[in-house]
Amino acid sequence: MGCCYSSENETTEQDPERKPLIPPNPVSKPPNGTDWITTTVPSARTDEQALLTSILTKTAQNIIDVSAADSVMMEQHEYMDKARQYSTKLAVLSNSLPQKKALALPSLTSQPHQVLASDLVPYSDIQQVSKIAAYAYSAISQIKVDAKEELVVQFAIP
Amino acid sequence: MAAAGLERIPDQMGYLVISEDGVLASAGDLENDEHTAAVMMTMVRTASRFRLPGTADPPFKRMSVVVEDFVFTVTVSGQKVFVVKRQNNQQEPISV
Repeated sequence: MGCCYSSENETTEQDPERKPLIPPNPVSKPPNGTDWITTTVPSARTDEQALLTSILTKTAQNIIDVSAADSVMMEQHEYMDKARQYSTKLAVLSNSLPQKKALALPSLTSQPHQVLASDLVPYSDIQQVSKIAAYAYSAISQIKVDAKEELVVQFAIP
Repeated sequence: MAAAGLERIPDQMGYLVISEDGVLASAGDLENDEHTAAVMMTMVRTASRFRLPGTADPPFKRMSVVVEDFVFTVTVSGQKVFVVKRQNNQQEPISV
């Protein structure tokens, strides 16, 4: 960061007691283009800036960033491991489910062309099936509970 | 070829041959019709789950989807679903 003289000035003029033990976070450092400390800036200004920087660094060190901690604790490979663990577990469980077998297509015929080329279902048959289905639907929709006594009964508790 | 013979079916307007992985062959009205393929696949899967009491196999050879002036006839053979769109010459309307 900055030119070589700037860092030299900083180290020579900065009080060793004020210097942070842990190097400051690289993110908190100003980018090259807007570097505060340049060779043209007077030494008093540089000292003030250094002090402000140290305060900023100290504050940054005292702050616990929860969102950052999450990403530090869960690495990419840990996510992958968990995903693999869960999918293995799911695969084991789904194998034991009975529906798994029903998913395979059954063979309805060994001569598909013959089956598909045979005559279409007669209109009268479709009409009959539609009528029966309509009757069945009507019958089902008319089913209702004929309540003759209370469904919830109070027990005589002494 | 997987669809050999389907084009010779009387009144056919198009056909599809579908496997678990997707469309294997298609022609006519159903050429590259992935949407119809997906719908037919779901319908035949649902229908083939139906069993009559005491039987192990689905109790049908062909599924017909009647849509006014045409019919989709569907069957399954050798893990492949065959769909043929055929003209419906029966003029009377179907009222439910």
